[in-house]
Amino acid sequence: MSAVAAKPATGAAMNPTAMGIGVILVLILLGICWFVSPTVGLMALIGVIIGGVLIGFGVHFVPVGGAPAAMGQAPGIATGVAMLAAGGGLAGLFGGAWAAAAGQTPIVVIITGGVGGGLMMAITCMMVNFVYVFGMGIPAASGKVAKDPITGDSQAEYKSQGTEGHGLPFVSFVGGVTGGIFAGAGGTLIYLELLNLYEGALPTLMQLKPEQVLPIAISMAGIFAVGMFLVNAVLTAYNITGTIEGPHDPKFKRWPRAIVASAVASALCGLVAILIVLPLPFT
Amino acid sequence: MEQIVFGIGITALTGALATVAGAAEDTESNIGSQGDPNSQVQLAPQMGFLHRIFNKAVAGEPPAYGLWCCLGAGLAWAFMAMQLNAVLAIVLGSVLAVFVQGVYATTAYVGRTASLSKFGQPVYVDILKSMTTVTMAHAFIAIFATVALCQLINGALGHPFPLPLLALVWGIALGAAGSATGNPYYGKERQYQNQKFGAGVPISASGNIVRYAEAGERNSIDNGWFTAKIGGSASGICFGLIVFLELWRTKVGAGWGSIAIGVLLILIFTVVDRYIEIWARKNYGPYTEAKEASS
Amino acid sequence: MSVKVEVIEGGIPHNKIMIAGVVSTLVCLYLTYLNVLTGTEMFSFFGGLAVVTALIWGSHTIKVLCSYGIGTGVPSAGMIAFGSGVIAMLLATRFNLLAPIVALILAAIIGFILGYVSNNILNMKIPAMVQALTEMAVVGALSLMGFAALMTGGFTFAGLTTGTVSVLGQTLMTQQQSFMGGCLIAVAFLLGAIAIQHPFNACLGPGWKQDRMLMLTAECGFLSMLVAAVMSFALITSGSAIISLIIAIIGWGYTYCQYMALSKRDAAAWLDAKPIPEVEGH
Repeated sequence: MSAVAAKPATGAAMNPTAMGIGVILVLILLGICWFVSPTVGLMALIGVIIGGVLIGFGVHFVPVGGAPAAMGQAPGIATGVAMLAAGGGLAGLFGGAWAAAAGQTPIVVIITGGVGGGLMMAITCMMVNFVYVFGMGIPAASGKVAKDPITGDSQAEYKSQGTEGHGLPFVSFVGGVTGGIFAGAGGTLIYLELLNLYEGALPTLMQLKPEQVLPIAISMAGIFAVGMFLVNAVLTAYNITGTIEGPHDPKFKRWPRAIVASAVASALCGLVAILIVLPLPFT
Repeated sequence: MEQIVFGIGITALTGALATVAGAAEDTESNIGSQGDPNSQVQLAPQMGFLHRIFNKAVAGEPPAYGLWCCLGAGLAWAFMAMQLNAVLAIVLGSVLAVFVQGVYATTAYVGRTASLSKFGQPVYVDILKSMTTVTMAHAFIAIFATVALCQLINGALGHPFPLPLLALVWGIALGAAGSATGNPYYGKERQYQNQKFGAGVPISASGNIVRYAEAGERNSIDNGWFTAKIGGSASGICFGLIVFLELWRTKVGAGWGSIAIGVLLILIFTVVDRYIEIWARKNYGPYTEAKEASS
Repeated sequence: MSVKVEVIEGGIPHNKIMIAGVVSTLVCLYLTYLNVLTGTEMFSFFGGLAVVTALIWGSHTIKVLCSYGIGTGVPSAGMIAFGSGVIAMLLATRFNLLAPIVALILAAIIGFILGYVSNNILNMKIPAMVQALTEMAVVGALSLMGFAALMTGGFTFAGLTTGTVSVLGQTLMTQQQSFMGGCLIAVAFLLGAIAIQHPFNACLGPGWKQDRMLMLTAECGFLSMLVAAVMSFALITSGSAIISLIIAIIGWGYTYCQYMALSKRDAAAWLDAKPIPEVEGH
């Protein structure tokens, strides 16, 4: 009895019909939102979709090696891709939420979130190389390219025998930081859009003053940001089937699928999140 | 003036708590053998290498630590809502969260090992009895430190997120940082100690983990001692730097100032990483000659 | 190189578990409505029982899905289930009495679309994917509703966002000390996400047995109910919280002992302080 091989090599094949259906779905959801709440809701939904797409795209950059990386058999970070990206992105969201509460302009808030995520990934990637080099005596080497695209270092002779590479070559490090920036910015954008929407709509809905609903608005926006973050990150993990070396990996070319997938998922979840605060006919 | 000193002082305290949390987290996850290296502990009996390692298969470290820290914070929040003193609330919350963690650890070990009965891997009840409390103790330190730093961030530094949400964010970040830094050290250096030092594990050696150690048969407490040598401290420094620098750059500058400092820090770490990489290439040298190397 | 995940035959068929799960979860959720009818909070524990039944169903769905080797591991499935479920659940709470049914329908739609996206746009092409993701989103939404009912006594939006605080002897309504204000939904989110994937993850292997996994799910469910009951002391009356706590403790104790007994039945050997057995050639 072996694992039911239900899928023949899925590989990097794009499915144009399905992608087309995906785009149509996004348009339908945008249309529903425009019908229900033309100004505030629609702007929020567009922001949420862009945020979700940023997350989905950004997670492709993060170098994840999975179980083989934990044995020095594959390059990348030895953690699951969805949760590593979540760690970076949420650290960015933390900074962005703080900036939002301090009343900064939206562009500052989003960039703060991005920089927070990038900083977390930069420190983590540096410490990974630190442990590999000084704790284990293993230099970084990639298994997918002969020369590092950014620095031009040759990789093949620094790869130990019987492995696919190990550590974080410089292009993977840059990929990790870039992924953290996109993921942090995307998560913060989702949070900011939902927070503005809830701060505006909850006082009328709950018949309370704005300061009183602030804890509810923050909590709801926060948990939705976390939830959508995880959904987008897991969809990306499905796209790259678990491990990727970074932007130089051939698997990276699969990113268009993930953009459409993240757009659909974010549009759907965003629409539901927006409907929560709209007056519904029979409640 | 006092305001700034108070802010920076609290920031430094949270950085210290984060360092402790990171070190304890990595040590705990290696005593329990959690995360990606655990795949080897799972694989070994299938290749005929029976062992006495604690096989704690509870998700990976980021979601697991997200849960323990968020749970500890939720309980602490509830106790504080019942007018309990903050420190007592955090301690009680962490104790209950650790209880949950211990239960999950025992069920994971027993479940995974029972499912490997086909290969003859026994369930060692003495491993269950001795490892569980040790892993719970380390987890308590990590959870308490994380919930405490979240309480400081919420209460003293004025972050808008409520305590459980903050602990979710920092718990997942803690798990991610500790797992990224500590997993290769445990997986390659300790589990495959019998392989050549300074090279990755060849695929042909998968499953052949070290089972007989310095004194008798290796168990997970030996792994905890080993982690404390480098892996634990490195994870601690990693998470401590993350928390401290994230808070510090917001305290020192606001708005564009914090962004500029953040970008500067990213560039500094990029330079440091590049230096480490070049140092390794120059100092360790290649494994083979450039022209002989084949993939 | 990781554990070979194999499709195991036998045991109760998945569809039976699904139907039993849906029915019992909805029944338990509606039984918490007795709180409103009787004006007390004593029936909140049914929320916890709803969580247990939903998780039993959900863990079996994860088993069905992950048997096909999705390539990224089991915990991600739990995350996507609850990530999509939390959004559906909060919208559904706006519908007062109809909330559980609305949550079910809404989560099913979200899960269906996510399953379609994964299978066709991301080309995963796994036969069970669409149904599995649909079911998991529903499980996520209903478990979160169960947690909310356990901790606050009801599943309406107004109930989740208001709490009381006593100032100088007066009780005032406040948003901060509420289920949503304190973001206890984040705790429920993670409790459920880990509890739904743990049973399959922990019983993974060639010796997987359905009854052992389902008993472990019940144990995880009661454990989550236990800590949620402790947290509920802050939001509902002590008497009701004590009822939930006692039921959770009894349920957890029983299922934990049963699980250990089942594991002893299935293990190759149950040794205490014995050396590693000698195996030929190693």
